[in-house]
Amino acid sequence: MQQAIFNGTRTARWAVQSFLAACLLLSNAAAFGQIWEGGNVENGQALFNANCASCHKVTNEVLAAPGLAGIRDRWTSGDELLVQWIQNPQAAAESGDPYIKSLVDRYVGTYGWMSAQAVSADDVKDIMAYVQNPPDVAAPAASAGTDCITVDELPVQNADNPSIWFLVLLVLFLVIALSAAGVNRTLRSAVNVSKGESPLPDATYFQRAKGWMWNNLVFVSLVGLFVVAYAVVIGYQGLMGIGVMEGYKPDQPIKFIHSVHVCENEVDCKYCHHSAYESKHAGIPSTNVCMNCHKAVKKGRRYGETEIGKIYAAIGFDPESGTYMNGAGEKGFTNPQDDFGGEPIRWNKVHNLPDHVFFSHQQHVVVGGLHCQNCHGDVQTYTVGRQARTEDINKLVDDYPGLIQLSKPTLTMGWCIECHNKAEVSLASSGYYEEMHERLRDDERGNEELRRYLEDDKITVKELGGWECAKCHY
Amino acid sequence: MKTRSKQLLPIAALTGLVVLSGCVTDPNSPGLEYMPDMYRSAAIEAYVDYGMDEYAFGWAEQAEQRLIQSARKPVKGSIAFQPDAKEFAMPYPYPNTPAGYEAAGRELTSPLATTKAHIEEGKAIYTQMCTQCHGEKGEGDGALSRNGHIQGIPSYSGKLKDLPVGNMYHTLTYGKGLMGSHASQLDQRDRWLVIEYIKVLQNGGELPEFDEAGNAVESASAEAGATAMND
Repeated sequence: MQQAIFNGTRTARWAVQSFLAACLLLSNAAAFGQIWEGGNVENGQALFNANCASCHKVTNEVLAAPGLAGIRDRWTSGDELLVQWIQNPQAAAESGDPYIKSLVDRYVGTYGWMSAQAVSADDVKDIMAYVQNPPDVAAPAASAGTDCITVDELPVQNADNPSIWFLVLLVLFLVIALSAAGVNRTLRSAVNVSKGESPLPDATYFQRAKGWMWNNLVFVSLVGLFVVAYAVVIGYQGLMGIGVMEGYKPDQPIKFIHSVHVCENEVDCKYCHHSAYESKHAGIPSTNVCMNCHKAVKKGRRYGETEIGKIYAAIGFDPESGTYMNGAGEKGFTNPQDDFGGEPIRWNKVHNLPDHVFFSHQQHVVVGGLHCQNCHGDVQTYTVGRQARTEDINKLVDDYPGLIQLSKPTLTMGWCIECHNKAEVSLASSGYYEEMHERLRDDERGNEELRRYLEDDKITVKELGGWECAKCHY
Repeated sequence: MKTRSKQLLPIAALTGLVVLSGCVTDPNSPGLEYMPDMYRSAAIEAYVDYGMDEYAFGWAEQAEQRLIQSARKPVKGSIAFQPDAKEFAMPYPYPNTPAGYEAAGRELTSPLATTKAHIEEGKAIYTQMCTQCHGEKGEGDGALSRNGHIQGIPSYSGKLKDLPVGNMYHTLTYGKGLMGSHASQLDQRDRWLVIEYIKVLQNGGELPEFDEAGNAVESASAEAGATAMND
């Protein structure tokens, strides 16, 4: 009985709904609320992604303009004005509609005018269908970054140093072994006494060790020789390692992953380290450069919001409203505010030349035309920055034409001058070198002694003064 | 048997030492420095960790030292050094407001001529600085868009086909929508050079015709037309 009534009410409701729908379809006039029904979601999604997604989200989240969730409940100004508002916001604002006026007052000052969109009324209908019922937000393409490898992992925090544990175990082992030997000796002495023999003589460990050594002279000599040789080798290696910092990879305040940025998302080295082309320093990007992408990318795949949140804290960005804060904590600014007193991110310098060495990135990158990888290795496979090893850089010779294979450790003087000796200067790269070349060849102006440089038809950096002390030390 | 096991003891200890010395490589340690005060002198260098040089500073000052030379924005109102071009060293007159954007679009023109060399320079900058979002052809299909991070980037040959250069310059300087300001990465000349290449992309990637000196023929005639109209 109940079932029948339920069925009955459902049929009745269906009838009423279809009647209303038919009425709506029949009435050609811009009926109130018609734009919210019957749009094509798929087409709407395509249109939304092409035209709206750079500023709006379908959720409540603010990107560069308010999120569109619940727009149907908020928009009370009729269909025609909605279409006009999208097609030409400034014209729609002149209509004097109170809701539109409130939007203009509240948002245009912060985000600017929405640019006029070339969409038809039917398009708007499709877009609204998508905005009201967005399918599950598609995850970033699964294929993204599968070709990208990361050669190292970021260090796990609070990791114990295994060598310390090894040392503790070693000491423990020694203590146990020595006590066992002592017990052994006492027991043997007691056995001797019980048999009526004299007890073992009372001797210190040192005396006993000395006796043992005299008894095993050949063995002790061999071990001694080994210890001395080992100490010499280790000492030599230690001395040669002074000032060599290959493989230095300090922890950084942000768990930055180069491979995600450079390989997956194809951000050029220069985008962040832009001053490499203009200055002696390649530089670490200031937070406003990070924000050029991270205004939109608020969540990392690996660390979620924690690591990206550190940028926001430093520059004063509020991810909820998509705006910046000023010193007083007021939100709503589209650009970073100078008076926001955030603590800068304290990056640790990885490549450090001694203070008495002059080095300029600009000279090597702009004039020399070197790839970053020639000296820094395959950075697009790193996590945080580290000082590359020469043998790793040498492996890249097939990928980077012109890369010079070297033998000395990176960032040592031997490494610098080895490369200056091998690297050829392209005379076409700069008028300066062309002029120098002409002077060398010219019989009247050229120096006989210098002309031998031209015998092998190559001009190296060394031959143009790259081995002069004062090139780098002054 | 007992003496044999005793003999093994020093060997075990020695092997232990060898293994121990082999695994002491801490990525957080730069290694030994010969005279650290030569590596980390009092002269300010970018990002040098003065905190490590207790000889020169002492621990009380190191925290303050590290704060001084960490990443900071340029001082407000500072002008980038431009040795040979005063037209690229002038302050930008339009404010960062919707009205300023409109005004720049109406009034601002490029101080650079459209030449082959400028377009090539602009293309080099575009490839390094813009492609990850705007795509190689400027169709808004850069890697960040393909990977689903930033969507709806407009195409230069589509939606932005008729965007005036003044608006582009304004956007590069202050940012617009999701795009941030690129003024700290591109100096004024770089910005105008990129715009030269974006004009090519607006035209579907087709280069204008050049005369023998490498000047664009079209733009010359257009300029002549504009001056004629002004007269």
